[in-house]
Amino acid sequence: MRRTLAIASNTLTDLTRQRVFYFILIFALILIGSSVFMSRFSFQQELQILKDISLGTMSILTSLLAILATARLIPQDIEDRTAYTILAKPVPRYQYVLGKLLGVLGLLVISLFIMSALFFAMLYTREQTLLSEAMRQYATAPREQLEDALRTVRAAGLKIDIAQAIGLLFMKASVLAATTLLVTTFATTNIFTVITMVFVYFIGHLQEIAREYWLQQTGNGWFTHLFLALVALIFPDLQAFNRVDQVVAGHALSLGIFTQTTLLGCFYIAVYTTLAVVMFYGKEL
Amino acid sequence: MTAEPAVAVRGLTKRFPVPFTRRLISAVEDVDLTVNRGEVYGLLGPNGSGKSTTLKIILGLVWPTSGSAKIFGRDSGEVHSRDSVGFLPENPYFYKFLTGTETLRFFGKLCGLHGEQLHQRIIDLLDLVGLTNAREQRLATYSKGMLQRIGLAQALINDPQLVVLDEPTAGVDPAGSRDIRDLIVDLRKRGVTVLLSSHLLGQVQEVCDRVGILANGKLVREGKLEELLAIENQTELVLENASEDLVKRVQELARDANARLVAQRRSTTTLERFFLDATDE
Amino acid sequence: MIRVLVVIAAILCFGAVRLPLEQKIPAQDRQLTLGLREQIGQLGFAAALSGFRSIVADIVFIQAHVAWERTEWARVLLLLREATTLQPQSIMFWDMAAWHMAWNASAAVMNDESQSLTVRVRKQHQYFDLGKDFLERGIQYNPDNPRLYEAMARLYQQKYEDHLHASEYFAKAAALPGAMSYDRRFSAYELSYCDGREREAYEKLRALYDEGEKERLPTLIKRLKFLEQKIDIPQDRRIPDSA
Ligand SMILES: Nc1ncnc2c1ncn2[C@@H]1O[C@H](COP(=O)(O)OP(=O)(O)O)[C@@H](O)[C@H]1O
Ligand SMILES: [Mg+2]
Repeated sequence: MRRTLAIASNTLTDLTRQRVFYFILIFALILIGSSVFMSRFSFQQELQILKDISLGTMSILTSLLAILATARLIPQDIEDRTAYTILAKPVPRYQYVLGKLLGVLGLLVISLFIMSALFFAMLYTREQTLLSEAMRQYATAPREQLEDALRTVRAAGLKIDIAQAIGLLFMKASVLAATTLLVTTFATTNIFTVITMVFVYFIGHLQEIAREYWLQQTGNGWFTHLFLALVALIFPDLQAFNRVDQVVAGHALSLGIFTQTTLLGCFYIAVYTTLAVVMFYGKEL
Repeated sequence: MTAEPAVAVRGLTKRFPVPFTRRLISAVEDVDLTVNRGEVYGLLGPNGSGKSTTLKIILGLVWPTSGSAKIFGRDSGEVHSRDSVGFLPENPYFYKFLTGTETLRFFGKLCGLHGEQLHQRIIDLLDLVGLTNAREQRLATYSKGMLQRIGLAQALINDPQLVVLDEPTAGVDPAGSRDIRDLIVDLRKRGVTVLLSSHLLGQVQEVCDRVGILANGKLVREGKLEELLAIENQTELVLENASEDLVKRVQELARDANARLVAQRRSTTTLERFFLDATDE
Repeated sequence: MIRVLVVIAAILCFGAVRLPLEQKIPAQDRQLTLGLREQIGQLGFAAALSGFRSIVADIVFIQAHVAWERTEWARVLLLLREATTLQPQSIMFWDMAAWHMAWNASAAVMNDESQSLTVRVRKQHQYFDLGKDFLERGIQYNPDNPRLYEAMARLYQQKYEDHLHASEYFAKAAALPGAMSYDRRFSAYELSYCDGREREAYEKLRALYDEGEKERLPTLIKRLKFLEQKIDIPQDRRIPDSA
């Protein structure tokens, strides 16, 4: 375990010293920051748009970060021969792979934490401003009208559901990281890995639909049927982790769904990482 | 356990597939090789003769096509065969973003070391390889020779019983190369087994107890250095302060005993020794 | 090579194992994703489902807002349809879409002096219907949210002047969690305007009145007194004058 952690923290250090990380992070912070201005365009429901833009940005950029950060980890180590020195120590290969993955997950936690901090801060400030505006506006109106107005603002503001939805964003990015790790054990170049993962990203979001069509057996030809089956079986269902839209639109995310989805995510990660380890045990350096 | 040699390689063959063809190229071909405990063994041969491949198989980084490799009796496929091994790869490359100290700490942790013990070990090793002053510098700023030295230090971090060095003196200037040879001699004194490879025969000649010579993946010669190099029917005399007269008398004695004087010349120093003496002043 | 085949086989097996799990977790919007494809084409569909959806929807919505400022009504309608299709879970989109149609666009056509009055009235009603249409679909997607029922009630109340339907929708809203506190009251007010439903309305208003000071607002008292008169409630059971 100590060894895995040593590799994980080393990987994290490596990743945080790369420019692409800062590039993505700063880009994310700019987008989240500018959501305040974008949301001003829409009178009334500015909190919703603020949330949409911020959470959408977080969703896409953490996914991108997960793919880009993981894609070069192991190939780079092999190319630079640092993997020789590490694996010539009494380090089992599974610990090496696990350490690399944990390093990426650490990076994702850090970046989501920073993005969420900014997002929560902005959401909270805007919410407070809107609340005090409502107070002023309804100062003379009956108390219950004021309460209704405040309730409307609060309903669109900071709520625990948002943290849960961000938790699921983390699960999605982690699943992508584990998948990327598996792909790098097959792939011969980084470009191949990244392109494959872009496909996985898009098809993964459509997997649910392919699965539905496949299971409904809506009398297509056998070729279509086979194609849909393969999509459903090979690709992870990334849409399952996209609860952000739902939460922003004001629909509660039940604890049951949250837990189930989180477990599904862990299951994906465990399986893809195991397969990556299996592949890596067959790899000659 | 004590009976087991440090390294035992038996019938080792490694063939790599040639990309886009169905052919295989043979990097190592039926090699038998034993490194005894406490000795310094040199694996010599030209570039591409299979030295690195052999070492990588011994360290479990590459699997043999057939045959076996064992370290202290444990198969190289086992993780624990490397419990007491240090390895310096050819042209080592470490994480550039770490400092000397951080690098050693990282590798120490990989060997299961931690705490005060690791801390002390790092200080000692930095001193041993002469990098104490550069310890807080990023490896990105290290020269080739410094990288080689930090590489040696990481190979020694877990106080190993066996040290494997792939081309330790390649690309290092003569002073650095001498330091490395001194270190090897020092390791031998402490009873550590050393297995090294080199294509620069002269540089390792003086430190190796035994050598094996690889050519095209085959072990063509193996043995003690002086035995391999001795010319059975020749003896060399080196005289200091010999007068012309003495030399003449020796020649006559030789002729009388039916021996033939093959060569007679003024002794010279090697260029390397000359360089070291000159730069030492 | 064997290893690669084993791994591929493992991926497929894993796919089969996780299938029931994936099916078990309720999808947020299955029928919606299927409907979406017909409307926005393959490419937009893929983009829309890949984490870009809310952002695309927001941009479309902002465009609609800009079009509204320029009073390009046809474009407003088109963009709002797109926004609601992309993000049908957003109450705000449905609400705003209906409001733009039934209040803004309808008022604009009424002010268009170049048309004859009959044409203007007909067009105005078409816009009311468009607003109602948005709300009906919004309610289909979000049956548990009181906001759209409230909006529908206001539409019936203020535009169609259909008090019965307005009362019905306020009542529906009032029955849902998160309803505004006035929903129940408004439902009763609206009912009090409906011929033949006076008794029912009276009962509701009286029940509210009996709940205490909080509900005894001027309008409530006025409507209650009006009904007491209209359906001849005995004097001793009427509410006191100086409320
Ligand atoms: N991973 C590999 N794939 C294919 N061929 C290789 C690989 N590693 C080494 N070889 C080939 O094996 C032979 C021996 O290489 P190597 O062991 O590196 O030689 P040396 O270290 O003695 O210079 C060379 O012909 C080299 O091209
Ligand atoms: Mg070599």
